[in-house]
Amino acid sequence: MKKKLSILFALLLSFTLVLSACSSGKSEKSSAGSSEKGKEENPVKDRGNEIVIGVTAEPQNWDPIDTFLLDWSTVATSVFEGLVDRTLDLKLQPGLAESWEYLDDNTLQFKLRKGVQFHDGEPFNADAVKFTFDRLLGPEGQKGPQYANYNSIDHVEIVDEYTVNLKLKSKDPVLLTKLAGYGAVIVPPKYVQEKGDEFFNNNPVGTGPFKMTGYKRDQEIVLEKNPNYWKKGLPKLDKVTFKVIPESSTRLAELQTGKIDIMKRVEVAQSKTVKESSFLELKDVGTPTVYSMRFDTAKKPFDNKQVRQAINYAVDKDAIIKDILSGYGKSISTYQSELSFGNNPDLKPYKYDPEKAKKLLKEAGVKEGTQIDLFIPGNDATFKEIAQAVSFYLEEVGLKLNINSVDSTTLISDLIPNGKAGHMYRQGWGGWTLDFDNTAYLMYSEGQKWNPSFKDAKVAELLAAERSTVDQKEREKIFKELTEVLYDLAPELNLYQAVDLYAVNKRVQNFQPPHEDRMRLEEVSVK
Amino acid sequence: MIAYVIRRLLHTVLVVFAISLLIFFSIRLTGDPVTVMFSAGEPTKEAIEEVRRNLGLDQPLYVQYLIFLKGLVTFDFGESFRSHMPVMDLIMERAGATLALAIGGTIVSILIAFPVGIISAVKRGSIVDFFGRIFSLIGISFPNFWLGIMLILIFAVNLKWLPSSGFEGPQHLILPSITLGMILSGILARLVRSSMLEVMNQQYVSTAKSKGISDWAVIIKHAFRNALLPTITFLGLQFGSLLGGTVIVETIFSWPGIGRLIIDAINQRDYPVIQGGVIFLAVIMVVVNLIVDLSYSLIDPRIKTGGSGRA
Repeated sequence: MKKKLSILFALLLSFTLVLSACSSGKSEKSSAGSSEKGKEENPVKDRGNEIVIGVTAEPQNWDPIDTFLLDWSTVATSVFEGLVDRTLDLKLQPGLAESWEYLDDNTLQFKLRKGVQFHDGEPFNADAVKFTFDRLLGPEGQKGPQYANYNSIDHVEIVDEYTVNLKLKSKDPVLLTKLAGYGAVIVPPKYVQEKGDEFFNNNPVGTGPFKMTGYKRDQEIVLEKNPNYWKKGLPKLDKVTFKVIPESSTRLAELQTGKIDIMKRVEVAQSKTVKESSFLELKDVGTPTVYSMRFDTAKKPFDNKQVRQAINYAVDKDAIIKDILSGYGKSISTYQSELSFGNNPDLKPYKYDPEKAKKLLKEAGVKEGTQIDLFIPGNDATFKEIAQAVSFYLEEVGLKLNINSVDSTTLISDLIPNGKAGHMYRQGWGGWTLDFDNTAYLMYSEGQKWNPSFKDAKVAELLAAERSTVDQKEREKIFKELTEVLYDLAPELNLYQAVDLYAVNKRVQNFQPPHEDRMRLEEVSVK
Repeated sequence: MIAYVIRRLLHTVLVVFAISLLIFFSIRLTGDPVTVMFSAGEPTKEAIEEVRRNLGLDQPLYVQYLIFLKGLVTFDFGESFRSHMPVMDLIMERAGATLALAIGGTIVSILIAFPVGIISAVKRGSIVDFFGRIFSLIGISFPNFWLGIMLILIFAVNLKWLPSSGFEGPQHLILPSITLGMILSGILARLVRSSMLEVMNQQYVSTAKSKGISDWAVIIKHAFRNALLPTITFLGLQFGSLLGGTVIVETIFSWPGIGRLIIDAINQRDYPVIQGGVIFLAVIMVVVNLIVDLSYSLIDPRIKTGGSGRA
């Protein structure tokens, strides 16, 4: 009987091996396919002049004043437009306004574009702009997260049908870039008033290149060409469908079988499979999001600058980027990306120098074997690996890192604000205005929810200074000084700027991956 | 019988009340929805207070709880913080998909587990039984995310027979049902096997055999019918929890079910959706439980629900 059993176990083992070979064999097969070019046939046939995009999630609510989610912007950038727009390389450009100028410090005048229509046929004009901002700044807007971003605006004054003045309560140096943000896209007054807010949540109407014609919650969003779009000859596609596919392996399967044409959020581990396919293309793009381990400067020994600097010297960031992120990440010197206004390219990230780290720790009187608590979100497998690497580096300089994985929402909304996230915690941030102002205020200004303990008189002075002027040259100078001060104070272990990966079927032409998730699809076509 | 049903219904009310207390207070211990909502901006204190007022979060806890209780009685759980849609609508939108998957998974598990369990029991100790038991063990120990992804790779990517995600036609139901059914069938097959073994040692089975009834007729008509009882209990409870959604399977196959709704709501601290969703599931579980108990008396006339219990 025993012999029989061992034979059976052997059989079972081989069955399992065969099964697992099926899975890994798949990528090997596709790799063979690509070396014998042309053997792999593009599975997308007869889709016509339309594309399907696989995304991770949808916002559940399309009203621009109710959201701050990147998932909203991926889709809604094609539906709504603001007075000011950003190009794919994030430069500000005229949107629904043709031009603008400051009449005085508190009055910003916009000349509006003529002949623009909302998807429901309503005309775009000064009334629509006034309605949009009255709604954003009124009771309806105050229920949502966007209101606070625009409360430097007092009210909108109509000068004539195509001219409006934004009257400001205070100077706001980042107002223009904010006007390219989610909350300030222009909505149709008649439609919103007649149909009501709840209907608008599910059936959004804007002036953008595509109109939303279908929405199945958590499943798919269908956009169709806006035939009256004000940019002549655009958009080129007739239809775009967004399919919500949360699991990345499933998204990749859908891409490989031709059910979708573009895949958002390709994981580093999947990049090889995409590159080896003859009909797919991998596109990478730097994002504004940076990841760091921030120190709680109220806790010993991190109240000491030398200790914080020592940790920056102790960790080999380049190795982490190369080995764990397969090179899909960029090193950073302060807590912002190269895309942020105020980034200082002259500052170079702390070099990997464990000897110097040991020296600094010794000078600061930190004993060998000192225990450090790190809090990270439990849903980020890649970052868990990074935390383990950091733990290894810290052990090399005599520190013991305890990694605590916690629920990410609890970390962000409870533990960090209340100073309960250990000595160090992971924080990722992009700064939605693409101006260091947003990040710097949130992280270093006293009393902000994500700044449980950091304070520094010089930093506070510089933050106030950059907000008190709209002269961008002057602000750049202030940010240069601010970044130098922050670099020296080292309030965080700066790790990397995130790089997003997209996989695209080669039938899709002119698709450029967006830096900040806002897909721009009007120039996209298919062959 | 009627007294029993009434007693059980009162019991149900008590359970739902206890769950309402538990869910209401426990979610309020894990972070603030307004902080989550504002995570991108720099809201002023006034703005935060305004939002709190609008969402009713400025009220004392007991008032908020009473409002929730009132909603519970009228089946109105309020509006989602995030989508501003009535919570009941959000749940009902997903009820179809969840029901379809629960039925699909249960059918697959029955189709696999009953034959495996019965044959294993009948051919006890044989090589067939051994394989049956190994199969059960695999079913129980396979992580369903792994199985789901494997099925996608084999049947969608390589063989191109079936779609890998979505909720469109009956063919979309196949892979998620198999994933769910395989996992369930492991436990179910073991259960069928052990109850069959127990029943087959009973005297009436031997009597039936001695009357010269064919082997399979004895197994199906006499043994299996009696072995069904514990199986039905298990299936009923399992079906109840499947209606609660199966987050992992729903995520892998982009299935718009209730499980994903609740998990998303938890991540966003969308209190009304979490409360409504959990209460909805609790009610379903309790009702299914009741139906299972009542169905006993249909399968086994010896069981009276009146009071004297098993004969």
